[in-house]
Amino acid sequence: MYEACKDRVYSIALYFFHGDASAAADASQQVFLKLFSTMRSYRGDARFETWLYRIVVNVCLDSARARKAQPRGESEVLERVPAAHSVERQFVDAQRAAAVQHAVSALPEKLRMAILLRYFDELSYEEMAGALDCSMGTVASRLSRGHKLLAERLAAHPWFARKDK
Amino acid sequence: MPDTHYTEWMAAWLDEALDTGQKVAVEEHLAVCAACRAECELVRTGMAMLSELPSVKAPDSLWASIEKAPRSRRPVMRWALAAMLILTAGAAGLWLRQPRLPYVTLRAGAAVQQHSAAHWISTDAASRARVNIPIGVVELGPNTSIRVLSAKADEHRLSLRNGTLRASIQAPPRLFFVETSAGTAIDLGCEYTIECDRRGFGVLRVTRGWVSYESRGKTSLVPAGAMCWTREGHGPGTPVFADSATPLIDALQSFDFARGGDAALGVILSAARVRDTLTLWHLLARSTIAQRETIYERMAALSPPPSNVLREDVLRLDAPALERWKAELAWQW
Repeated sequence: MYEACKDRVYSIALYFFHGDASAAADASQQVFLKLFSTMRSYRGDARFETWLYRIVVNVCLDSARARKAQPRGESEVLERVPAAHSVERQFVDAQRAAAVQHAVSALPEKLRMAILLRYFDELSYEEMAGALDCSMGTVASRLSRGHKLLAERLAAHPWFARKDK
Repeated sequence: MPDTHYTEWMAAWLDEALDTGQKVAVEEHLAVCAACRAECELVRTGMAMLSELPSVKAPDSLWASIEKAPRSRRPVMRWALAAMLILTAGAAGLWLRQPRLPYVTLRAGAAVQQHSAAHWISTDAASRARVNIPIGVVELGPNTSIRVLSAKADEHRLSLRNGTLRASIQAPPRLFFVETSAGTAIDLGCEYTIECDRRGFGVLRVTRGWVSYESRGKTSLVPAGAMCWTREGHGPGTPVFADSATPLIDALQSFDFARGGDAALGVILSAARVRDTLTLWHLLARSTIAQRETIYERMAALSPPPSNVLREDVLRLDAPALERWKAELAWQW
């Protein structure tokens, strides 16, 4: 279970905390400790993913409140972008990933979390509503607003403008 | 332009998450509303841009940090205050108090005896017992004797002298230990049954998660569906899946406990499936150099090692290389 979930949990935490690897590792640790300790209360009445990501959401939002994290300019993510076919391509991919990461970091917390849950785990709207403790309509609204903000913020970015021309 | 817009539903429409009525309403609206069409394109673009974001591998140190989390961060600490080890046996019983056993209130039936001076709890041939501990449940079969060595929030340790013990544990790894005369079974988040007699003859069967069975520097990692025999003077044997071929299982016992040598190894290797790399991986460190080469060749044929695991590193039992290969193989176990 840990092996199957760890990368998704860590990725969500990493992007939620603006690429701060230390904050992401700390949040991931808390998620799994909480998961293990509450496992006996899981009765199978909700999908395991819904239960897991409800913990992820709560831990990330609680940690964010405690940390009052600020976006960082550069991040470890830049070093972790998978290798591409050429140095130039790798550089371009890294720059584009960094731009998206910064745009995601700038989203309001609730929109950011909705987008990360949808993108990294492809949860259904119903599952996301369970994890985020809100209605499916609210999930749809947050995703629409979040994606629109992302597109608007990245539209003027040189790396994206260059691709579209 | 229509009075009602559907900007909040654009992501759901693109994700095909709307019901039929909603979908028709949005599509009819999009046909006549340029503003919503523009919104829709923006949301679609935002979705596409997210594909630039790579998934990031969790650091290897994460698991270690979970295992080594300060006890104060482990939620199990909350249980310590209320922790109580309760043993129930049969329907009828009388209540006994045992102040020398930490956290223990003993409910004993006629067939269950508690030897207070030594902290032993025993069942006879006709009785079973159930022990509720703060991190799970332990069931004792007939003719079983256990001793509570430690019942603290951060360590629950039992000694199984003889009989059958079934444990179902929900807790971070390495909080629950069962000591037998053949070694120590360490819970890694799991459900298992362990049988043993006073001389160390027995078997461990895991039904969920993993157990690490350890003795004098020898470790057998036993995943769900696998088992591990123990014998007097040998400690834990090599783990093997219960659904492995019978000749492989028989040969493994011969190799582990009866000096089966090359003949037994030959049977094991020829009968091994991909899943049996569990057994072969453990045998690497329990064989001669010449045997190790044949084990490596068979393993490589069944499931080639990743590029960062070199043959020479495996043959010299380089621990990081063995761990890297195990991490890849474990997906198939």
